[in-house]
Amino acid sequence: MTAATVLPGQPGTPGGGPAGVRRNFWRGVGRVLRRKPSRLAGVAILVMFALMAIFGPIVYPAVLPRDDDALYAPPSLAHPFGTDFEGTDVLALVVTGARYVILTGVVTAVITVALGTALGLVAGFHRGRWDAALMRLTDLQLTIPGLPLLLVLSTIWKFDGPLEMGLVLGLLGWGGIARAVRSQTLSLRERGFIEAARGLGLSTTHIVVRELLPSMAPYIAMNVLIAVTGAIYAQVGLFFLGVLPFESNNWGVMLNLAVFGGGALTSAAALPYLLAPLLAILLLTLGIVLVVDAMDEIFNPRLREE
Amino acid sequence: MKRLAAIAAALTAALAATACGSGQGAGAGAVYTTIDGSKQIDATAPINPFNPKGSTFVGYDVMALAWPKNDLMDPNAFYPGLARSWTATPDQGEVVVHLQPRARWSDGRPVTSQDVRASIGLAYTQGGTAYTVNAGAAGAAADIRVVDERTVAIRQGANRSNAFLRNVLSTVIVPAHVFGHLLPADFWTTLAQARGTGKAAEAAKAEITGLSQQVISFAPARDVSAGPFVLERVNPGAALLRRNEYFYDADKIAPDRVKVLNYTGNEQIWNYLVSGKLDSAPFTAVPAAVMARIKRTPGNEIRRGYSPVAASLAFNQSHAPYGDPRVRRALAYLIDRTQMTRIASPEAGTPAVTTSGVHADAARAWLGAGLDTLNPYPVDPAKASAELRAAGMVKKDGRWAMPDGSPWKLRINVPASFSDWVAAAKSITSQLNDHGIDASVVTSADYVLYLDELAQGKIDVGFWLMALGPSPYNIYQRLYGPANGWQLLAGRLRHAPPGQDGNWMGGPETIGGVNPGELTNRLNLATPEEQKRIVGTLARLTNEQLPVIQLYDYVNTQFVNSTRFTGWPPSGSEALRLPAGVWMQLGLIHERSP
Repeated sequence: MTAATVLPGQPGTPGGGPAGVRRNFWRGVGRVLRRKPSRLAGVAILVMFALMAIFGPIVYPAVLPRDDDALYAPPSLAHPFGTDFEGTDVLALVVTGARYVILTGVVTAVITVALGTALGLVAGFHRGRWDAALMRLTDLQLTIPGLPLLLVLSTIWKFDGPLEMGLVLGLLGWGGIARAVRSQTLSLRERGFIEAARGLGLSTTHIVVRELLPSMAPYIAMNVLIAVTGAIYAQVGLFFLGVLPFESNNWGVMLNLAVFGGGALTSAAALPYLLAPLLAILLLTLGIVLVVDAMDEIFNPRLREE
Repeated sequence: MKRLAAIAAALTAALAATACGSGQGAGAGAVYTTIDGSKQIDATAPINPFNPKGSTFVGYDVMALAWPKNDLMDPNAFYPGLARSWTATPDQGEVVVHLQPRARWSDGRPVTSQDVRASIGLAYTQGGTAYTVNAGAAGAAADIRVVDERTVAIRQGANRSNAFLRNVLSTVIVPAHVFGHLLPADFWTTLAQARGTGKAAEAAKAEITGLSQQVISFAPARDVSAGPFVLERVNPGAALLRRNEYFYDADKIAPDRVKVLNYTGNEQIWNYLVSGKLDSAPFTAVPAAVMARIKRTPGNEIRRGYSPVAASLAFNQSHAPYGDPRVRRALAYLIDRTQMTRIASPEAGTPAVTTSGVHADAARAWLGAGLDTLNPYPVDPAKASAELRAAGMVKKDGRWAMPDGSPWKLRINVPASFSDWVAAAKSITSQLNDHGIDASVVTSADYVLYLDELAQGKIDVGFWLMALGPSPYNIYQRLYGPANGWQLLAGRLRHAPPGQDGNWMGGPETIGGVNPGELTNRLNLATPEEQKRIVGTLARLTNEQLPVIQLYDYVNTQFVNSTRFTGWPPSGSEALRLPAGVWMQLGLIHERSP
C-alpha cells in the first residue's frame, strides 16, 4: 500500500472521504445505541410516534366511529384505553392526535433553534454593537411571560393549525438558546482554528457556517429534541386550559374533557380517558430523553465508554 | 360549567345557593355547610351586596323584600322576605310593601321604610329594570313614598311593565345607617332631574350613574344584616356566618352557624359532595359516574325541579346559509337531541321535546295541547335532505356544499369553560358529519369573550341560553330581543339592522306580517289571557322559523345530605331554586334528632 493509497479523504478507502466519514459516524452511532438498550428503546419510541404522526390519521377514518351505547366504556380488547364521552375509542384519539402534537413540537423546535442559533452566532462572533443590540432583543424576549401572552393571544387568534401554534411557541422560546450559543461562540472564536481561518482570510460566512456551526452542532441537535418536549408541554397545557381551538383528539383537549367533563379525578369511569394521553406524553418525553442521552455520547468523545 | 350555572342563575334572577353542614353532627352549635353557587369566595372583597364579589350571601345575611317562587308561569309569585306582605294595583301602577314588624338589623336597630328608600336609591346607581334613570324605560319606578315607619309605596312610571312587582320585590335591602351616606344629600332631587330631558337631565343621570363605583367599592367595617345570619369572618377557604339574634323569625332557624366553602371549579364541589361535607349544594353540572359516587355517600339525596333555562343552537341569520329557515330546519332534523343530551348533560338536562322557545315544563302550561301541534323535529335525514335541496344546497361526493358549489363548513362555537356545551357541540358535529355536513367545534377562551364574539357577528352558529322564565317577556326576549335587533329605548321599540347595535342574530323584522319583537314587547303589558295568545303565536313562529334549535332543557339538580339536617324541600318544590338560607327562613330545615 503506497502512501497515496492510504491518504485520508481518498474516495473508496476505508474511513476516507465523506462517504467513509458518514459510515464511521453511523457505526459510532450504532455502537453508542447498543451500549445501553434503553437508548434503543428511546429510538424505537420516537420511531413509533413518528409513524403514528405520519400514518395514524391515514389508518383511521377521518370521522372516528362512535358507539352510542358505550360512553366512557372501560378498557377492553376492542378499546384498550376505553372510550370517551361519546363512545369513541380513546386509543384511536391518541394515535390520530399525535400528528398535531408532534408537528407542533417539531415546528417549534426548528424555529426556536434556527432563530436562537442564528442570533447567538451573529452576536457572539461580531460582538460590539451587534452583540449589544441582539442581546437586548434576547433579554426582551426572555422577559416576555410566555403563558400569559399565549392566553391573551388566544383571545384574538384561533391558532387553527399546528404550524401556527408552532410558530408562536417558537417565537416565544428562542431566547435561551440564543444566549447559550452566543456564549459558546464567544469561547470558540478565540480558539486557534478560528484564528487560523481568519489568518487565511476566509470570509465571515465561511467561518461562521463551516467552522463555528459544526462545533456547536451536537449542542444544537440536543436542543432541538429538548425544545420538542417543551413545545409539547406548552401546547398540551394550553389545550388543557381550554384556551385553544377544540380538537377532540388533541391530547390536551382529552385531558381537559377527562378532568372537567368526565370527572376523572373524582371517579374511575373516565380515568383511562385521562391516562391515555398522559401515557403518550410520558412515553414521548422518555423517548426524547433516552435519545438525547445517546446523542450526548455520540457528540462528546469524553463521554464515550470504550 | 360552574360559571354557566352562575350566569344562568343571574340571567333568570334566580338565586341558587345552598347551605351545608360540617363534619360534626347537628345539635348545640351545629354548623350548616354549603357553597354559594353564584360566586367564589374572595376574602378581600367588601361586605357589600352591591359588589359582585362581595363577602355577602343571599338568603343568609343578604335579604330581599321577597323571594321568587319557582312557578312555571307566574313571575309574581313570591315568598315573604323582609316584606311581610304587599299589594299591587291591577296594572301594577303602584306597589305597597309592608315590612316585617319585628325585622331588626344585627346591631339591634329596626328595619324601617327609610332603609328601603335608601336601598332603592342605591339600586338606581347600579341601574336595572325597576330602578333606571333612562327616561321612558318600561317598568321603571317613578316615585318612592314612605307611608309610615314600616310601609313604602313605589309607583311605576307611565311606560308600564307587568314585571314591575317582581322587580320591586327583588330589591335587596341594606341598612341606611351603614350605606345611606353613599347617597348625596340632594340625591332624590337629582333623580327627579334625571327623569327629564335636556342637558340638565343628562348631567343628573351622569351624576347618579357616576356613584356606581363608589357604591360597589364601599367596604363597611362589619356586617350589619337583617337576615338569619351575620358574617363573622371570611378567609380564602370559607366564610363563617353566625346566627343573627335579631332576625324576625329567629326561632325558625336551626343551625347556629353557616360555613360557606370556597371552590375553584366543579371538581372541588364534586369532592365535597362525595365526602359528604355539604349539607346542601345548588345546581352543579355533574358527570354520570361522579353522580353515582355522590349518591353512594351516606345521607346524600338528590332534589330535582324545574329550571327555567334551556340550551340552544343559535344562528347568525345574516351569514349564509343560516338566513334560510330551510337550512335551519334541516339541521334540526339531523340532530339527535336525546343522544346529545345523554352525552352532554345526562344528570341536569332533558332533551327538548321541540323548539318552542319555552322550557318544556312551562310550555305545557302556556300552550296546553298546542304544544303537541308543534313540529317536534324528530331525526329524519330524508326530510333534512329535502329541506337542504329546497334551500339550493348541493351534495358533492357525499358532502353538502353551498348552492354555488363552494364548501359548507359549519362551525359551532362554544365557550371552552362550559364542559356540557363543549360535549354537546362535539356530539352535534359528529352527528352532522355522519350526514355529510362538514361540521366542527370552535371554542372561545371564556364566556365574556364568547358573548363579545357573538355581538361582533364573528360567529355563524353558537350555543345560547334561552327560555329564561317564568316571565314570558324574559323568555322570548332571548329570541326576539336586543340580540335579534329589537331594542326598547325611551319607551319606544326599534329594530336595528343586522350587525348593528348588538343585533347578531340578524333575523327579519317581520315574518309573514308578524313582528315577533313587537309581540314580545307586548308581553310586558298584556293581561294573562293575552299573554297566552301571544306566547302561542310566538311558539308557533319559533317552531317554524327556528331562529334557534332548542337542544335540551335544564333540570335543577340539587344536592342535600340528611345526616345532620332534615326538612329539605321535595323534588319539584317551588322553593327549590332558592338558597338554603331562605329554606331556613321558611321554617323548612331542622336539625336531625340524635
